[in-house]
Amino acid sequence: MPDGAAPVLDVRDLKTVFRTRGGEVHAVNSVSFDLRPGELLGVVGESGSGKSVTMMSLIGLLPSPPAEVRDGEVILQGRDILRASPEELRTIRGAKIGFIFQDPMTSLNPVFTVGNQIMEPLRVHLGMTKAQAEVRAAELLDLVGIPDAKRRLKDYPHQFSGGMRQRVMIAIALACDPAVLIADEPTTALDVTIQAQILELVKELRKKLGMAIVWITHDLGVIAGIADRVMVMYGGQVVEQATVKELFGNPRHPYTRALLKTVPSLSGGRASRLQVIEGQPPILTSDPTACPFRMRCAYAFDRCARENPRRRPVGPGHDVACHWDPEPAHA
Amino acid sequence: MLDAATPGTDKPRKLVEITDLKMHFPIRSGLLRRHTGDIKAVDGVTFDIYEGETLGLVGESGCGKSTCGRAILRLYEVTGGSVVIEGRDIAALGPEELRKTRPTMQMVFQDPQASLNPRMTVADIIGEPLNEHTTLSSKEKLARIYELMDQVGLNRAFANRYPHEFSGGQRQRIGIARALALNPKFIVCDEPIAALDVSIQAQVVNLLEDLQDKLGLTYLFISHDLSMVRHIADRVAVMYLGRIVELSPRDDLYEDPLHPYAKALLSAVPEPDPAHEAVRQRIILQGDVPSPANPPKGCNFCTRCPEVQPLCHQQDPDLIEVRPGRYVACHFVKPEKPTAGSTGGIEAKERNQQGERR
Ligand SMILES: Nc1ncnc2c1ncn2[C@@H]1O[C@H](COP(=O)(O)OP(=O)(O)OP(=O)(O)O)[C@@H](O)[C@H]1O
Ligand SMILES: Nc1ncnc2c1ncn2[C@@H]1O[C@H](COP(=O)(O)OP(=O)(O)OP(=O)(O)O)[C@@H](O)[C@H]1O
Ligand SMILES: [Mg+2]
Ligand SMILES: [Mg+2]
Repeated sequence: MPDGAAPVLDVRDLKTVFRTRGGEVHAVNSVSFDLRPGELLGVVGESGSGKSVTMMSLIGLLPSPPAEVRDGEVILQGRDILRASPEELRTIRGAKIGFIFQDPMTSLNPVFTVGNQIMEPLRVHLGMTKAQAEVRAAELLDLVGIPDAKRRLKDYPHQFSGGMRQRVMIAIALACDPAVLIADEPTTALDVTIQAQILELVKELRKKLGMAIVWITHDLGVIAGIADRVMVMYGGQVVEQATVKELFGNPRHPYTRALLKTVPSLSGGRASRLQVIEGQPPILTSDPTACPFRMRCAYAFDRCARENPRRRPVGPGHDVACHWDPEPAHA
Repeated sequence: MLDAATPGTDKPRKLVEITDLKMHFPIRSGLLRRHTGDIKAVDGVTFDIYEGETLGLVGESGCGKSTCGRAILRLYEVTGGSVVIEGRDIAALGPEELRKTRPTMQMVFQDPQASLNPRMTVADIIGEPLNEHTTLSSKEKLARIYELMDQVGLNRAFANRYPHEFSGGQRQRIGIARALALNPKFIVCDEPIAALDVSIQAQVVNLLEDLQDKLGLTYLFISHDLSMVRHIADRVAVMYLGRIVELSPRDDLYEDPLHPYAKALLSAVPEPDPAHEAVRQRIILQGDVPSPANPPKGCNFCTRCPEVQPLCHQQDPDLIEVRPGRYVACHFVKPEKPTAGSTGGIEAKERNQQGERR
């Protein structure tokens, strides 16, 4: 990706808190990242580390209360959208930012047909007639690999398999050719062949339309195959960011290193026990004044308990939030 | 695992016998909602699951895996065929008998959201089966709930939270804890780890394996994560459009898939290595994916098979044993004549290689 291009999306110091009966949950803490046209940013991190909440916050999708976006800026194509009105946000969400939710069953409306739900953004944002929208909706379903697309437009979500519902979400998100696509675990329910087909589709859209993409996934194999850059989250923070090659070849944060070690390989049978990262994830009940990973970190020292590390550059396009300073692997 | 459940040379016991199972969903259309056809989600599958084994079930999205798992546990009234669990045909059980057998068979659902009551706290959700099927005191119940939360890696401090206050992966673990609550014998795990990060995936899989070693549990493990299936499964069934196209011991399938669909499926697995990803060769399947409402004549895979022949468009292949313990439904994978001494070697090699099935 050209380094000089202005980012389409620039997120700075985003902070989101949930107020619950048990006190505040600091789900997202000063998260910053940017995204350039045509770029694919992979987001990985522990379950509960704030990946989904980060993305939902930046397009105003979290119900408030209990959520409160406390701080930060979200610049989309030069405009701060964090402070946009609800109507403006609705237009932005439909037409400029496509969003694929992690949980397709809850984000599809059970009482409307699948066709209805794909056609809605086409009619509202692109002003298509019903007939035009119907043709386009069938095309989109076909594009994401659902057989017999035209007839299946009349079906309801519960009549689709888990992976098919996920593909319906992908079709809806792509409907208006958005400038930015945010995909939250978009292929978890898909088998590898259909996943490969969706990844090809995404590559094509990036080339053709310059669509920029944020791709959240637990699947490091997918990240290795499609991402330009990768951002690693832990305990509500970004702990490391690098190009995909650098991240796999020279991981610096102890969490990233542990994460890469936990992947089972295709050649390994059951003889070996799978690697886990020992210890419990942080509970995030207060503003962190210490490194969130320190309790599980093999390299932690006294400073880690006193001071939450800020992100610091360790190489071109590579930064890490960690006090520990290892010898770089390829020094 | 198998060797624990079957000491010595005893044949493993069949826990679940599935014969010609069919689950069709009616298609209704027009104003009168007339029955105009059927979605043949599961269309005649036959296989056994041995006590103490993990049978992997893989195949493309929409091929009928979840429907098959649900039909086996009788969460649907099936269209045809039989499911015999420990000698009892569960399709023939009355409601009260069915309720009594429920604790022994559990399911971890693919869509945790849809199966968790939003108005119940996590402790209530995990404790619900304990209320219904045990006589534990509330103190004992709470202890069990905490124990289950520990096992699946959920912080005890979250016991009084509601499902919407959790991340996707945390919710999935609530469903797993609930399924484990009553110490079931047989669990259908439908994509139990898809929403989890790799470390927690490993934790859950290790837990499932530990429970299997300790309690002799049997799993039907539905997943599209082929690396994880290779890790956990003893045998693997590959499904395509409502049918089983290959069922083989794990290593045989991964090292030498025989059915053309199994070959394509295994070639597409992504690997966590950018250098390798850049040069990999995938078999990308061409041709239309048929709809289960209208499967093609002949072999179900004939519209996309790279090795298709005229015969495939006419005749539907049966699932037959082509090598010891390996079942394939393809006209062009012919049974091999066993050469002297060859079978013994295979059987001795690995504990999960089962010779005969019928
Ligand atoms: N409504 C809520 N109230 C309180 N806490 C919440 C709420 N929603 C989310 N959280 C907490 O915020 C944290 C971040 O959640 P998020 O969904 O962003 O995680 P994630 O990184 O997407 O995880 P996963 O990989 O499991 O989807 C979690 O610890 C979760 O428990
Ligand atoms: N209640 C239903 N009514 C009508 N059709 C259904 C119903 N449930 C499933 N189907 C259809 O049956 C087929 C098989 O669905 P199933 O959920 O078993 O697939 P799957 O193999 O689990 O897929 P995935 O990997 O995407 O979860 C699909 O075509 C689906 O649309
Ligand atoms: Mg999430
Ligand atoms: Mg399914």
